Amino acid sequence: MFAQNRRDFLKIATATPFIPGSLGAMGELTLCCEDKSIRSMCEMCSSRCPMEARVVNGKVVALQGNAYDKAMGTSLCARGVAGISQLYDEQRLTQPLIRVGKRGENKWRVVSLEEALEYIATKLNHLKKTYGARSVIFSSKTGESYDMLRSFAYAFGSPNVFSHWSSCPIAIESAFEHTFGETMHRDFENANYILNFGHNLFEGLDIPLTKAMARFASNPSKKLIVFDPRFSLMASKANEWYPIKAGSDLAFVLALLHVWIRDGKYDKNFVQHYSVGFDKLEKALKESTPQWQERLTGIEASVVERIADEVYQAAPRCIIDWGHKATTSPAEYQRSRAILIANILMGNVEKRGGIYFPKSAKRINAISFDEMIPTLNEAYPRMFPNEERLDGAGQHGSYVFVPKEHGVLQAIPEAILSQKPYAIKGWFLTRHNPLITLAHPQKMKEAIQNLEFIVVNDIYLSDTAMMADVVLPEATYLERDEGIRDQSDKVPCYTMRNCVIPSLYGTKSALEILRSLAQKLGVDKNYKWDTMAKLRVHQAKGDDAFLEVLLRRGVATFGIPELFLRESKDVERFVEHYPKSKALLCKEGCFSHFFHTLQTPSGKVEIFCEMVEKIFEGYGLPCAVDMDVTQGYPYVLTSGKSAIHTNGHTHNIPYLHQLMSDNPIWMHPQTAKAHGLKMGDAFYVENGIAKEKATVFITEGIRPDTLFAYMGFGRDAPSLKRAHGKGLNPSKLLSLRSAPVCGSMITNVGVKITKV
Amino acid sequence: MAKKYAMIHDSNLCIGCQACNVACRSENQLPESVYRLQVWIKPEEYPNGTLGYEYHRQSCVHCENTPCVNVCPTHASFKNEDGIVLVDVDLCVGCLYCVAACPYQARYVDPVTKAPNKCTFCYESRLSRGEEPACVTVCPTEALVFGDLNDPQSKINTVLSERVTYQQKERLGTNPKMFIVPNHKGGIKS
Repeated sequence: MFAQNRRDFLKIATATPFIPGSLGAMGELTLCCEDKSIRSMCEMCSSRCPMEARVVNGKVVALQGNAYDKAMGTSLCARGVAGISQLYDEQRLTQPLIRVGKRGENKWRVVSLEEALEYIATKLNHLKKTYGARSVIFSSKTGESYDMLRSFAYAFGSPNVFSHWSSCPIAIESAFEHTFGETMHRDFENANYILNFGHNLFEGLDIPLTKAMARFASNPSKKLIVFDPRFSLMASKANEWYPIKAGSDLAFVLALLHVWIRDGKYDKNFVQHYSVGFDKLEKALKESTPQWQERLTGIEASVVERIADEVYQAAPRCIIDWGHKATTSPAEYQRSRAILIANILMGNVEKRGGIYFPKSAKRINAISFDEMIPTLNEAYPRMFPNEERLDGAGQHGSYVFVPKEHGVLQAIPEAILSQKPYAIKGWFLTRHNPLITLAHPQKMKEAIQNLEFIVVNDIYLSDTAMMADVVLPEATYLERDEGIRDQSDKVPCYTMRNCVIPSLYGTKSALEILRSLAQKLGVDKNYKWDTMAKLRVHQAKGDDAFLEVLLRRGVATFGIPELFLRESKDVERFVEHYPKSKALLCKEGCFSHFFHTLQTPSGKVEIFCEMVEKIFEGYGLPCAVDMDVTQGYPYVLTSGKSAIHTNGHTHNIPYLHQLMSDNPIWMHPQTAKAHGLKMGDAFYVENGIAKEKATVFITEGIRPDTLFAYMGFGRDAPSLKRAHGKGLNPSKLLSLRSAPVCGSMITNVGVKITKV
Repeated sequence: MAKKYAMIHDSNLCIGCQACNVACRSENQLPESVYRLQVWIKPEEYPNGTLGYEYHRQSCVHCENTPCVNVCPTHASFKNEDGIVLVDVDLCVGCLYCVAACPYQARYVDPVTKAPNKCTFCYESRLSRGEEPACVTVCPTEALVFGDLNDPQSKINTVLSERVTYQQKERLGTNPKMFIVPNHKGGIKS
């Protein structure tokens, strides 16, 4: 079965004397036998930044960015550099554990990995036999372990795979899908004017994007406008900051669209030729005037008028930035769609300084009529089992537009407790900590008490791991090889995680664990690999030169010139390189044909989305709905990222905990005074869901009706000895309600406050 | 020719993310209770009640005229040939005069050696390998520029010739080799 692959692998292994992943001999790149640099990919958050590790005498001594990626240089953030502190943390999980006490009691028996896997296999088989394979849920943060987990779950027979999407980027991802047929990227580097709706790139770091944004913000000839109820670090670098009322971005954007349409200030050519539904939008926005939005956003009408004009003057080198995952309201789908449509009206699609489709190898090969850039073999076969999902995601009901690969996490507690639509009895989680990152963990905890079997694969004995029957200690990202990942952006790009140091405690990666389990359960017949080396060779189609680049450099690009499909200069240069692509030129000298063959139902950019309108009446176009986030309470609690921590992941890591161990809640002086609170005082945040104790951080940098908490604090797990019991977990105050159409978790929530 | 190492901190590009802080800790194996480098994000008052944050690099500024060296009775604190202020722990008697004399509060007492220490521009480690200081290497927004003032071709001289910079507490005449590009954002209307 592996004959072809093995032959290729051996060819590589003999041609260049290194062991894949250990990079024993790196030629000129090796400083000396005891001091070497290995290029890999970070996993201290989800940005997947290419990084480089210096290893001296078998110890990792320093981490920095991987300069083979030009957008990275040697830059790396605090979390990325603190990867060392995680690797050598003595509070890490080192051995598999099987529960001996009651669920959640934190009493364990240390077992071998073999025993743990045998036990898991037996239990999963039992659940499958008794309740059906669909009774087991599988969840993971997206990434390679998610790809593998999904393939494993489908082979096992369960449709119930969940990624973190519904608690993070699902609204914008749905909006992309329905508007463009795929995800779009932003060219901050070449833009001249940016409207930023809470996209806090200076705290939610993604090095290439953050770097481009920092350059933008520090350039006096460019203009950055930030809308955020809080004076974030991003706001501090802006030309103008508007403390917009939480949840009301949509109203501002609708008024912006209204002004552009009223004055005929939009890219008529683009709208006419490459989009559908503009006429309907024009009618729908008659009432959403700048005056109308004042009451909702708290921003003067004249500001809308002025900004609308300035953005139009800057178009197409302008971006209306949708953020990554801003704090969400129930109107999140409509907000995201309205922002995308604002970009469309400014005609910035496939323009420099605007928004663009990622240029994958497949896309560039198709345009150039050439197969010169390698494409990957699928390593994780995924045949969706013919079963109903517990949340109906992608199938029927209110989540019909949620991709069935991602699901709606908020639906899980109810499904477990009600046993509807059918019995749910098991849960396998890897790199996922829903008791911190998902709304209403109290309810989730109650629900998972009803499960028969839970497996958690993690680096720490996290809040969720505490509730498991089996805890698997995962190898950190510095201790494992993974497959090749397509990370194409402006040009085709692949990255690969290379093992920096042999696993300190012999712990395995999620990929290896799941591959072993698949074999034990007899559901592995579709895998074309059984080791990481063979996985890579299979993905790379045996292309050893390509693999060698990834082993040495951690990143592979192909010298392809940047191509914006509607920039005639770019297109001209591309045609010079690839003469066959001339066949695709339109009369303006661009590759505009592309906008007739998008993966949307009409093949064009969809301003009006008929498919959505049919099922969710009134949602086919952006309109002013679902913006209330107070639910009758006097304050809105918002939350967000810091540059020091990642969601539910990093709070117990020594270097990072030391820098930030708590999250006092931001409050305006007026509000604090009204409640008799002084800096550092304790108070209760309360709503219909929970009453939680917090401390106050008093600052002018927030609206008087808004509170703000950094995420991921308030850990209940005693094994996280540093982070345990510090700060507030804002998730505890959130409801499990989801935003219409996209199924997004709602992270703005109404609260009242009382003094302790 | 001896070098004259210096650094620029561009507080427009700096976002206070502490990558420099952690990289310094990691490179120099600092005990948990002390630091050589932090970035302080300070809310500032601007006219008309407007808001702003200042991004202040808190570390040794490597003065030309060194109060810390001047007060040291044993020559444990010294400025080397490349203009970097260092501490010879073996010569230190722990009088802490240098800690008191430093106008920039840049020195700490190492809990293990009991001797004062501070930022060295990674002189013993990274510079000796031909690399830049750890903070400069990892800075996510390239807010730090490091180089030799005696080399007319160096990037630091180019940037100094193009940008307005200032030094902290210039009035003291310490002549720090840490140059700051002032923050031109701030005074933001709320």
